[in-house]
Amino acid sequence: MYGDLGLKLVQHAKRTQSLPQLPPYQSDIVRSVTREVRDLDRDVTEILEPFNGHFDPAEEPATACSLLVHHLCMRRNKRCLLAYHRVRVEAIEEMCWSGSDLLEQVQASQNKVAEGGAGIGSAEGSGASSLSPEEEEYARQYGDLLAAYKGQWTDIDLTGSLEPPRDLFIDVRVLKDAGEIQTEYGAITLTKNSQFFVRQGDVERLIAQGFLQKLN
Amino acid sequence: MDIDDLLQELDDNKVLGGTRDINDLTQSWIAERTAPEILPFQTALLERLMERIRQQIELVETQTGNLDPKTNFCLILLQTELERVKFLVRGYLRARIHKIDKYSIYILTTPSIRGRLSPPELSYLKSHLGLLNSHFLASFLRRFPEQLRRLDDKAGGISMVEEPDLDGAVFCKVVRDIEDNIARIPGTDSEFKLTKGDVYVVRYSAVREFVLRGEIELI
Repeated sequence: MYGDLGLKLVQHAKRTQSLPQLPPYQSDIVRSVTREVRDLDRDVTEILEPFNGHFDPAEEPATACSLLVHHLCMRRNKRCLLAYHRVRVEAIEEMCWSGSDLLEQVQASQNKVAEGGAGIGSAEGSGASSLSPEEEEYARQYGDLLAAYKGQWTDIDLTGSLEPPRDLFIDVRVLKDAGEIQTEYGAITLTKNSQFFVRQGDVERLIAQGFLQKLN
Repeated sequence: MDIDDLLQELDDNKVLGGTRDINDLTQSWIAERTAPEILPFQTALLERLMERIRQQIELVETQTGNLDPKTNFCLILLQTELERVKFLVRGYLRARIHKIDKYSIYILTTPSIRGRLSPPELSYLKSHLGLLNSHFLASFLRRFPEQLRRLDDKAGGISMVEEPDLDGAVFCKVVRDIEDNIARIPGTDSEFKLTKGDVYVVRYSAVREFVLRGEIELI
């Protein structure tokens, strides 16, 4: 039925907002909704054809009504599509800001699918990425744009924490091996399960990436 | 003149340039976070502050390695202050970027608002919109009929361009004596008098002019 698929997209978008990770891109539904719009548009052209551009709504109220419904359906589908994509784009931008590596996540999900799908067969292996190719491209470009804007404010580190800084030095625990980092007090080797008292500015990025945990 | 006025005068004279800048920055940050629309970019203020941040960083770098406990302590104070100022600047810029993303088309198409952006912000806004546009086009809009491809449609009674809600409520404080001190609430008959020191919760649209002139601060 007209509009059903659009509603599904909106429901997907709504659900996406409360999920920590992006669910797979619904390329089938997107394609069907787009096709619906094209079909509707063709119908409109067919309805208008016998009038040769001299259509008077007052003379043919029935046709006018059908045209209106067609137009409203198309607009509604467009809004549904835009809403769905917008929500996903916002999630992607959020990831760019928080500095988590998108490609890494994509790869991780690919690996998961590969492991899970090994027993069933490789049928699911191809569509593993949760982003559409267009979205991957967008993520890359937005990352570049963000980097360019951040470049204007090198001293500030725009993607830094938005919590007001309370102490200059904090206690951190290492959750994953992160190798050696350079600080002004010399090099520190971050091995798993060790604990350090370090300058917050030095390790902020590692906390955001999940290597370190801040202790109070 | 009572004791409060005397204290006030003392405060005004004693505040040093640097401290005043920090106060201004804090105020701009608060205002930017509470105002529904984007406010003019504080170009001069930000330039002065960035210059000082650079100087302080240099100072910290040259002083590191000095093992004298006294300088070490000073350094910690300096760095703590630096982190705090940086946090304010970051918060200020991020609050602006948030609004720029949210109301991008509205800002771009309203010349008076557009002038409030700094050049880097404007170029960010334009490239971001371009990216979004081409992303939507590539994802589905290119398969749409020609007349349905626009992103700033106003047909059907619903505008696609999101505008800031200027009627949103804000907390504000009158900080100066104002000559023409009657504020009217648009769309209603009610009006109220603005006296220095008063605090109000009111629709932003009623005090917008005063806020832009700096006579009222958002809190």
